[in-house]
Amino acid sequence: MEKKLSEMKYGAQGIVKSIKGDLRNKVAGMGIRVNKRIRMATKQPIKGPVVVTVDESNISLGLGIAENIIVEVEK
Amino acid sequence: MRILLMGHPNVGKSVVFNRITGANVTESNYPGTTVDYEKGYVRIGHEEMEVIDVPGTFSLEPKDKAEEVAVKMLERNKDSVVVCIIDSTKIERGLYLALEIIERGSRVVVALNMWDIAEDKNINIDVEKLRQILGVPVVPTIAVSGEGIKELVSRISGATSVKIESVMKNVGGS
Amino acid sequence: MKLSVDERWDIIDKISKETVKFGEYRHTLKDALAEITVKPLTGIPIAIAVLYGFWSFFGAFAGFFTDGFLVKLFDGHWLPWLQDVFPGGLGNWFYSIMVDAGHMESGVLVAADNCFESFGVLTSGLFVAIGVVLPAIIAFYLFLIILEDSGYLPRLAVLIDTVFHKIGLHGFAVVPMILSLGCNVPAVTATRNLETKKQRFMMMTLLAIFIPCGAQLGIMLDVIPEYVGFVMLYLFLGFFVFGFILNELIPGKSPEMILDVPPYHMPTGRNVGRKLWARLRGFFTVAIPFVLLGVVFVNVLYLVGVIDWLANVFEPVLVGWFGVPKETTAPLVAAFMRKDLAVGQLMGIQEQLGMVAFNTYQLVTSVVLVSLYFPCIATVAMIIKEGMQDRGKGVITFLLGSLAVLMAVVFIWGGLLHLIWIILGVA
Ligand SMILES: Nc1nc2c(ncn2[C@@H]2O[C@H](COP(=O)(O)OP(=O)(O)OP(=O)(O)O)[C@@H](O)[C@H]2O)c(=O)[nH]1
Ligand SMILES: [Mg+2]
Repeated sequence: MEKKLSEMKYGAQGIVKSIKGDLRNKVAGMGIRVNKRIRMATKQPIKGPVVVTVDESNISLGLGIAENIIVEVEK
Repeated sequence: MRILLMGHPNVGKSVVFNRITGANVTESNYPGTTVDYEKGYVRIGHEEMEVIDVPGTFSLEPKDKAEEVAVKMLERNKDSVVVCIIDSTKIERGLYLALEIIERGSRVVVALNMWDIAEDKNINIDVEKLRQILGVPVVPTIAVSGEGIKELVSRISGATSVKIESVMKNVGGS
Repeated sequence: MKLSVDERWDIIDKISKETVKFGEYRHTLKDALAEITVKPLTGIPIAIAVLYGFWSFFGAFAGFFTDGFLVKLFDGHWLPWLQDVFPGGLGNWFYSIMVDAGHMESGVLVAADNCFESFGVLTSGLFVAIGVVLPAIIAFYLFLIILEDSGYLPRLAVLIDTVFHKIGLHGFAVVPMILSLGCNVPAVTATRNLETKKQRFMMMTLLAIFIPCGAQLGIMLDVIPEYVGFVMLYLFLGFFVFGFILNELIPGKSPEMILDVPPYHMPTGRNVGRKLWARLRGFFTVAIPFVLLGVVFVNVLYLVGVIDWLANVFEPVLVGWFGVPKETTAPLVAAFMRKDLAVGQLMGIQEQLGMVAFNTYQLVTSVVLVSLYFPCIATVAMIIKEGMQDRGKGVITFLLGSLAVLMAVVFIWGGLLHLIWIILGVA
């Protein structure tokens, strides 16, 4: 099922399907890209940022940024 | 001749810089410690070379002021050698920046730093093969203990500028 | 040739396939620690514990050396000895600059009996710098360096992001903020990690106004130990209140956080030692000369009558608006040079005037004023330099903007404290 990264549950995994606009270039250098496996490591409360794991890296993204990344979530 | 130390934030550029120039710039375990460039000198053979510790950047499309400094540094020094420092445990995204720098036509040497942590994590990198594919010197280093730094310095004069097409051919052709 | 993002990743995938093998990896204690320190349920209590530990360590370490040892040395031995052997004596101008200006008590000039009151270069100057501030900053930097080298700061940034987000900044602003608690000067440069001009302007301005430096923290801890917690809270609250207002007023973008969170490393003794030494060297070569010069500067202004003149000019504002005695003028002047010196001087003035003329609440207000009203000269220089880097010709607008915010804050936030005392019935 496709979901916004910001809506993924804690612990969920999936494959990145698309990244909107120039965010694509911005996060490319950090290893976040289309067809990459991504895991939700933590979500902070009150619209706080998420922390995702890609390969060996942990990256924190503001929720508004995470909204622009679409992930095919695994069951 | 100038040497630029470039790479992602927090990969150990400043540790390498301190090692090869004897300087004392701040090393910390968070991205964005170095926000302005620092100069130092190293003697290679008979030549005294200027070494620059460049702020870390994730790509050549800067997203903040510190990254801007890094990209400008590269643009202003097209003829210098770039020592591209990669965190071996995050080699894929490290190569992203390395390829970007190669595409711009700079002469490049790649340092695979944090080799100790990669070993702990059971990540095996075929250095020789990587060297063949990229066509530039590749040296594993552990900056904190100094391992590989001498070798890295000795390879600086062997830095070459390669065409990205040739990298594409090398990787496709096997 | 330049590749597109996807083309580049295609090549990398191929390279990686041919050269990298990811073996089996067992999770370690470090990974477990990495998780619990960033998950909100466990991370937030841990963050509070870490920051509280920071504060306690700072107080205990500094208190142990300052109160337990250095105060006795300076007040019990150094001051009386200098008063004894230094040529000149009370009333002599050189003696009053270097050792003790004395003060009037029922019409007679009497000597000081502690190093806050004497306000000489060799007495108060050295006492503030070495007796009070040095132990404080050793403690502060020791803890800070361990935070820096372990990799904890980015996690703190993640946990605190929501709060900063409300004022148009993001979690990574915690790094310049914490660096600023050591010294505002490197913190100003560290704002380069923020994305937009708006964010950098806000952060530089707010830092310079609201965040006291380690030297000032150290001396506040010594002078108003019961109230320093309140002062810090009041300053932090001001940071966020005015941050909120600035965020509404200033045009520009406030992008959200994109932050790489590195794995933990064990700090090495070698690096901790080196960094501590580098920062202490900075303290000895830059800060101490500034403290000593500051004493000379203020004493000369006293001697030629400028301080008294200024005090009379500002009396209506100081007494009427802020509710502090006009004698606080001298420390406010000293604060241009060094804030630690200014706070030390306030203490000396309270001892001279007595509790009735200058009570503890007034002392707290004046300490807050010293923090707020103008950044020290080194910070100003750095802000000008960074402003030029960031804005080019626009630096003038940048600086005038900062100054306007500063004036507004001093009057509103300083005056509000007076109002609080009035409401509480203590002023
Ligand atoms: N284990 C290990 N740690 C390393 C190695 N190289 C660097 N480090 C650590 O990695 C952290 C980052 O090093 P820095 O030199 O400050 O990183 P930088 O690349 O200059 O980072 P920025 O200035 O933020 O761009 C420090 O805590 C170093 O001690 C290495 O080879 N092995
Ligand atoms: Mg660095």
